Amino acid sequence: MKALVLALPILLPLLTAIVLLLAGRRRWRRWLVALSALVQLGVALVLAQGAYGQPPQVLALGGWAAPYGIVLVIDLLAAIMLALGALTALAAILFGLAELPPEDENPLRLPLIQFLVTGINLAFCTADLFNLFVAFEVMLIASYALLTLEADDWDIKQAFPYLALNLVGSTLFLVAAGLTYGMFGSLNFALIAERADALAGTPQLTLLSLLFLTVFGMKAGVFPLFYWLPNSYPILPSPVAALYAGMLTKVGVYVLLRIFGQVLPPDLPLPHLLMAWLAAATMIFGVLGAVSRNFIRGILSFHILSQIGYMVLAIGLFTPYALAAAIFYIIHHIVVKSTLFLVGGTVVVLNRTDDLEKTGRLWLATPVLGVIFLLQALSLAGIPPLSGFWGKYMIIVEGVRQQEWVLVFCALLAGVLTLFSMLKIWNGAFWAASAKEGVHTEERRWRPMAAVAGGMTVVSLGIGFGAEFFLRVAHEAARQLLDRPAYIDFLLRGGG
Amino acid sequence: MMWETAILVGLMFGGACFLILQASFVRILFGFILLSNAANLFLLAMSGRPDGKTAPVLQGGNGGPPVDPLPQALILTAIVIGFGVIAYMVVLLYRTFLDQHTANACELFDPRRERPKEDAS
Repeated sequence: MKALVLALPILLPLLTAIVLLLAGRRRWRRWLVALSALVQLGVALVLAQGAYGQPPQVLALGGWAAPYGIVLVIDLLAAIMLALGALTALAAILFGLAELPPEDENPLRLPLIQFLVTGINLAFCTADLFNLFVAFEVMLIASYALLTLEADDWDIKQAFPYLALNLVGSTLFLVAAGLTYGMFGSLNFALIAERADALAGTPQLTLLSLLFLTVFGMKAGVFPLFYWLPNSYPILPSPVAALYAGMLTKVGVYVLLRIFGQVLPPDLPLPHLLMAWLAAATMIFGVLGAVSRNFIRGILSFHILSQIGYMVLAIGLFTPYALAAAIFYIIHHIVVKSTLFLVGGTVVVLNRTDDLEKTGRLWLATPVLGVIFLLQALSLAGIPPLSGFWGKYMIIVEGVRQQEWVLVFCALLAGVLTLFSMLKIWNGAFWAASAKEGVHTEERRWRPMAAVAGGMTVVSLGIGFGAEFFLRVAHEAARQLLDRPAYIDFLLRGGG
Repeated sequence: MMWETAILVGLMFGGACFLILQASFVRILFGFILLSNAANLFLLAMSGRPDGKTAPVLQGGNGGPPVDPLPQALILTAIVIGFGVIAYMVVLLYRTFLDQHTANACELFDPRRERPKEDAS
């Protein structure tokens, strides 16, 4: 029975997707998918509660224990990510239900979202490199399909760079998996971790870690391999874009945390240094890209990059405190970023466009939406006491402690520019005195849509004001991640 | 054997990169097919020298040590996934060609191209 609960984060979305495919256009499909998303969130929260202060929960698929069989391992970090993924998926699905009447909705959208969630959850739970590759592919193939499903004749070309760069990334991932197998004779995380200690400091291990950094940095959207992201996300329908913005790049960040924090030995100065500086470049280039755009989803897409920079910088600084900061930042960022995309989607419904030249008057028409946007935008920029402040504060404290003044300066500069580009959206959409196509408040659907965004804002406020609790969880997750001997002992000799 | 494989893998990766960086859709597509095969060959090389080893099938204790079967299992998975993604890419490129009337990546992403007016809804 306990084993079944561990498999639920993968089984539930998979079964839901299959049932949805069979259901066609029947009415109850929408209730089913909302219910399924809710149950997934509940399961993830139960798993997270069970993982706090405990050794990881292990499910050996097919009865073969690690390191020979495929194991699913859920520790606190994985459970946190599962919960965040389920929350984002729930918000995206509810927003989609509010946005479109059932007859206008593409019947493949909901099943594909569920397949995407299956892949994402598998990536969080898996404990071996090849299964991770399969998880990435499940996720990516679903994401390719969703990207082009509702794209029009003009937007379709933006799917090509996304596909091409991710295909190159997958190939390099395969090569990295092959190299790992050649070096360690295993693909299981625990066994690699045990055998990697003997190789610490050798050039082979440094090369392998640089290859991992390239592969997962590309998936996370780290400079200079971020080109696939900012042009492809805006072509997505808003609810799907919110899910992508929240989860997809964070899977890359999660795997960087997992590989560099747990699997590879902590003594890798060159890759860590490189990671920190690439992260600083990502922040600056991402935020400059955001400043240069003049439509809401374009600005928000570039912002994903600059925020990824903060998380990767924290991983690059590589102390227990910095990793806790990275985990807290992920928690904050997923909620805030997907909410902002949902607000962007609501603006599109109200103003018929999200081009900042043509939007306007929203503060007069819907002050509630304005407040939601302002809270999340200020949180993204890191204004206390909102959730973004604590993550940025911890990262900058760690940077100052290590006397990396240039990195600290980049982080502060990116924060100021974030505020600037958020004000650009504020001025264009909410404050501007005229809207080219008018404000369509008679569209009744904007209320439930704004309500979903409002619900996510409440969660984000909770993270900001309950920061002490979330910081404790982040510290515990980082402690579990960095306690490599316990992890190796538990998987290879104890539990399983 | 190792050196020959290494040089072949290197040539395949190099050729694949060259093809992917071309403008024509067909060449890009061939480049990606070559790229995934290069990675598969690399994986195969990870199972070590096959000389004097038997196939990894248990047949009641005849023959010497078997070849390491795990890389072959990985390759099978990678081939299936790669085939699916390449099939998707063919369809995507074909749809792009139908929608945008070009089979050239440079023309496709030319900044002077503007969204046709009648499409702007």
